[in-house]
Amino acid sequence: MSIELVHTIIDDLGGLLLFTMILIVAASQISGAIYAVASQSLFIAIAGAVLATATGNVDLWVIAGITLIVKAIVLPWLLLWVIRRMDVKREVEPVIPILATLALAMVVVVMSFHLSASLDTVRQTITGNALPVGIALTLNGVLVMATRKTALSQMVGLFSSENGIFFTAMAVNKGMPLIIEIGVILDVILAVLVMTIMVLRVRSTVDADIADLDRLRG
Amino acid sequence: MTGDKPLEIVLLEMFLLVLLGPLVTGFIQKLKARFQSRQGAGVLQPYRDLVKLLNKGTVQADTASGFFRSIPVLVLATTMAAGALVPVVQAGPPAFPLGDALMLLGLLSLARFLTAVGALDAGGAFGGMGASREMTIAPLVEPVLMMVVFSTALAHGTTELGILAEQRGTSWILTWRAADFLGFAAMLVLLPAETGRIPVDNPDTHLELTMLHEGMLLEHSGPGLGCMMLASHTRQIVTLGLAAALFFPIGAVSTGVIGLLLGAVSFVAKILVLAVYLAVIESSYAKLRLFQVPQYLGIGFVCALMSLALRIL
Repeated sequence: MSIELVHTIIDDLGGLLLFTMILIVAASQISGAIYAVASQSLFIAIAGAVLATATGNVDLWVIAGITLIVKAIVLPWLLLWVIRRMDVKREVEPVIPILATLALAMVVVVMSFHLSASLDTVRQTITGNALPVGIALTLNGVLVMATRKTALSQMVGLFSSENGIFFTAMAVNKGMPLIIEIGVILDVILAVLVMTIMVLRVRSTVDADIADLDRLRG
Repeated sequence: MTGDKPLEIVLLEMFLLVLLGPLVTGFIQKLKARFQSRQGAGVLQPYRDLVKLLNKGTVQADTASGFFRSIPVLVLATTMAAGALVPVVQAGPPAFPLGDALMLLGLLSLARFLTAVGALDAGGAFGGMGASREMTIAPLVEPVLMMVVFSTALAHGTTELGILAEQRGTSWILTWRAADFLGFAAMLVLLPAETGRIPVDNPDTHLELTMLHEGMLLEHSGPGLGCMMLASHTRQIVTLGLAAALFFPIGAVSTGVIGLLLGAVSFVAKILVLAVYLAVIESSYAKLRLFQVPQYLGIGFVCALMSLALRIL
């Protein structure tokens, strides 16, 4: 595969990743955000596969496979199962209006493009627009985590952040060492499992969520 | 910038758009009916409605001024003029200076303005309400549409739709850049708003709580109402044509009789695809509350701005 073609494909995937990110930020129902983050992980896996064919790095194939199975299929399915289990169809309960979050997300994206444009020499070695897109994804994941009240929506933000870091790492460095990637994935799985159990337990005992912890005084 | 597209073809395209407009509406309504497991009226129903309206007499509110009577004609004329700017069967700029994508958007908003003025002029409560709602939505839709156009125009260095369609004529979805994906996503969000369909507006209702565009037509009757309906059919196909010209201009490049036929066939195919999209969206979503519309359009705004940012930065 020629290097221009790889650049183009990574660029296009970057556009699609940004679109799924907007959907996550704008989703007014938690299930919509979960589907969006699942498709985002799917695009990340495709990007990994493309880079793997381009560089011949076998580790990237493994990472792409793990991303596809764990982050695009298993974890979203788990989150959807929790939603069904908890029987909530409620909205995502943003702290500030979703429109304001969208505006902030836009500022983040424009800033990350603007700032990484000043890293011109560094950017030469990076595939396509991967650096600004990765930064934007990471920061917007943090934004989603900061502006949502329920634990499940915050988990979706964590996923999106994670995806951004993965994307940057893949494109900047042609992949981190496999052992680190697997460690990160395991961290995410653990975090999700712990938070899922927490959410279920907390709800079944006291019927509260993260936002209600504000009122907890020691 | 002038090219070699003769006046006859521009006029032919314009009248083709006006003639096919009701057919697209009929097609969408038929498809919607099938989705709801109904038989539905035939695809030619909008034509029958138009003929019926044109044969009726006119009733006018006492409070309406003399200007009110000319509103439908003006709206139809403006929309038709906008239709002349959309490349249909042949891409490439016309042989005489005509106007570009900005002109087209300007004419569409002029038509919108005239409709609202007409609704206010008649003095009915529903007309005023419809006009105020429409004017609330319009400033959210038009800048986004302009940004989508600019994003495409930046890549080719011109806002002339004919040249845009010609230069993109050889390209196919595989050559889309990231900015094209985002721009297209914004366009997909905007299409229901610009054509007055669910989730922004409901074209089938006359319930006062939900209507935007229909509210403004309440005071019109007879041939005037016919003109307004024809104008809104035309507006819909012009918007679809604009989307097709910006994002799938395949098949509209070649010249000669065969080229024209090929262009016509591909145009029909593109419009059909977009009409199916509209019908599917309209059947699978509920109308949004008016105060949620800005959030929905915000998705389009962010997509369009990012597409522009990707082109510039």
